Amino acid sequence: MKILMCTDGQPYAEEAIRFGGKFAHELDADVTVLYVRPMAPGGDSIYLTTARKKMGEWDLDIPGVEYLKRAKDILAGAGLVAFSPERDTGVRQTFRGSAEGGVELHLIGRHAERVRLKLREGESAEEILTEAGQGRYDLVLTGSRGHEGFASYFVGSTALRIAEFAPCSVLIAKNIRESHDFLMCTDGSKLAEKAELFGAQIAQALNARVTVLSVAAEPAGLKAAQEQVRRAEMILAQLGVQAKVKVRSGRPSEVIIDEAKDHDIVVMGASGSSAVRRFFLGSVPLKVIEYGACPVLLVREKPESKRRSTSRRAG
Amino acid sequence: MDDLVKFLIRRRWIAAGFLLGGVILLLPPPSGLTVSGQKSLAIAITAIIFFVTEPMPLPTVAVLIGVFEVLLGIAGPMEVSRSFVSDSLLFIMGSLMIAETIVKQKLDKRLALAIVRVTGPRVERVVVGLIVVSALIASFIGEHTVVAMMMPVGMTLIASAGPEPRELKNLPALIMLAIAYGAVAAGIGSPSGGARNAIMLAYWRQLFQLHVSYLQWMEYLYPIVVIQVPLVAWILLKTFRPEVVDLSRSIEELRSRVAEEGTVTARDGWTVIIFLVTVFLWITVSDQIGLGTTAMIGVALYLMTGIAHWEDFSRGINWGVIFIYGGAISLGIAMRDTGAANWTAQWVLRGVEPLGLHGGIPMLFFVALLTMAMASVMSSGATVGLLAPVTLHMADLSGTSIVATGLVTAVASAFTFMTPIGSPACGMVYSSGYLKRADFIKAGWKMNVVSLGLLMLMAFGYWRLLAFPGGGK
Repeated sequence: MKILMCTDGQPYAEEAIRFGGKFAHELDADVTVLYVRPMAPGGDSIYLTTARKKMGEWDLDIPGVEYLKRAKDILAGAGLVAFSPERDTGVRQTFRGSAEGGVELHLIGRHAERVRLKLREGESAEEILTEAGQGRYDLVLTGSRGHEGFASYFVGSTALRIAEFAPCSVLIAKNIRESHDFLMCTDGSKLAEKAELFGAQIAQALNARVTVLSVAAEPAGLKAAQEQVRRAEMILAQLGVQAKVKVRSGRPSEVIIDEAKDHDIVVMGASGSSAVRRFFLGSVPLKVIEYGACPVLLVREKPESKRRSTSRRAG
Repeated sequence: MDDLVKFLIRRRWIAAGFLLGGVILLLPPPSGLTVSGQKSLAIAITAIIFFVTEPMPLPTVAVLIGVFEVLLGIAGPMEVSRSFVSDSLLFIMGSLMIAETIVKQKLDKRLALAIVRVTGPRVERVVVGLIVVSALIASFIGEHTVVAMMMPVGMTLIASAGPEPRELKNLPALIMLAIAYGAVAAGIGSPSGGARNAIMLAYWRQLFQLHVSYLQWMEYLYPIVVIQVPLVAWILLKTFRPEVVDLSRSIEELRSRVAEEGTVTARDGWTVIIFLVTVFLWITVSDQIGLGTTAMIGVALYLMTGIAHWEDFSRGINWGVIFIYGGAISLGIAMRDTGAANWTAQWVLRGVEPLGLHGGIPMLFFVALLTMAMASVMSSGATVGLLAPVTLHMADLSGTSIVATGLVTAVASAFTFMTPIGSPACGMVYSSGYLKRADFIKAGWKMNVVSLGLLMLMAFGYWRLLAFPGGGK
């Protein structure tokens, strides 16, 4: 498993990394922490590079590196990084880099899992999405300030864009709680099954309780919903996860947001792959991310795995 | 399909620019403007659109200017290439090479030590010291070089001032902006302070056969720099009250970092000596042998002594900028030769006549505002390159001093204090991560107002005592 964690040095982002460190450690995942430094548009990269070199001569870090170092300390606290790179004098040098593209530092953990600290420059959502695409990650974890009045709507837009456009699964972490009570939403689709498998891995790593929920749009659909949760329960049981089941009727996004109040993490598949449909109807997962009170794990198939399977079929 | 739409959306300004240029070409020429004048005007307007919207790397615009001058038959290929490269362009190139050589040395550490040795630990004195040194160096070499050298000094001061840098708001803004504003405000001090100054010298000579020497330029504008330095300090200290008054800890840190370097080396000494020789030659003999050739003497000396390496030049100099200046000058000359500059100048003068801005000091004020407006949407070099042919003709038509108008155009293009993208200097200090955009606005508008006021006072008072080449007041 390869996880990309995003930080901007704010407490909520570091809270998300602490949370991510917990299950990343259990899963022996490779972790990359990314900080995106905002850059003035039209900034002249040649002059900026000159300035960077001077800063290097003075032994000054590129601004933002301290956030990455703090993230590293957090991950070390979770047991992910075995040694402190500070002692290694060669390490500081690897942070130096050009003004364009990513600058990175590698650390190796106890179980040979890798932690990489990466710094990119540009517009945050765009750079995170570029990194997520290039690095073939399985999961992007990003914090969100949660709802604190009007301003959070705009702040959250980066997280929302990542949730919408990332090529892999996304965990939007806000209002993280100590307990880990999972709410898995299923609609019986293939993607929902994927979400159960993926969610079960993390639930196991966190030693969490799991509730499976299916929402019927109309009371007549309750029976089908019953069947869906039973199937999900079976899948989870095979993986060794005990789950409670629940069936409700109503508008899916509203019901899920309501149920989420009593749970700590919502797991769901990223439905509605057509951009046109999403534009007109809105997407249930995005509504839950925007208005829900707890972290949301949005499971999505990686495109390259699809490509690999088709090529295998072709071969 | 999706990609095509994305491509078109991203490149929409290219289409818009060419479309507008084409429409202008197809219109019947307005009275008083020749067909080739209309062609060069079409190129100018298209170039402005590209410079403002940046739909392609900006040097491309300069390349296109040259290409279309030939394709539209405004000038022959030999004439166009000759208008691209001139002594002024060599001068810009040489100045950048010299600056790059200086920035490569470790002079910044010695400079830092010298500053704090004189100023002591009081924050106000340190700030004034930073501004004075920034301004002094930036009045002779490009502002970006000065900021690259001074920025680590400022960052070290901030990082070890005592409290966590994140908890400081005013001190970082104060120190970083002192460096940037000091450099930007002083860039007007001598012809080698900024490429736009060199462009102005080129225009005076090539469009009006007016000769202004290196020393004359300093005589006209250095007084502004001298008055500006305390004003910058005053504005910044009023705007950002520092949280820390005593910088003893920072200065200790600075000393310990510099101590690692050891004593001054012969290399440092030669770097400074060759630079001073070059400035001396600029002041004394550049009238006879040209500013560009003089700069090349300095460059050759640096290369022969092994102080500079050619690889540094190819990596550390923005060659695209030199193209932009070449293209802008070439277009300016085409606009003069085809009468487009004169026609536009007449048109502008007619427009501002009802406001009484069509001559003398009021016109200089108008030119300054126009330049500032244009410099706020595109780079200051391109602003001077495209605007000066028009403003100089406005001066010529209205009997205002051509030199004074040119000076106002060159100086006002540097009044880009309000945004981090206005000048390389501001962009660089912004990249330190210690500043917010709002900091630039907070202090920048005051800088703009004060600088403009000072420039007008100079035009009204000091300049009237001087006899400018070409006459006119």
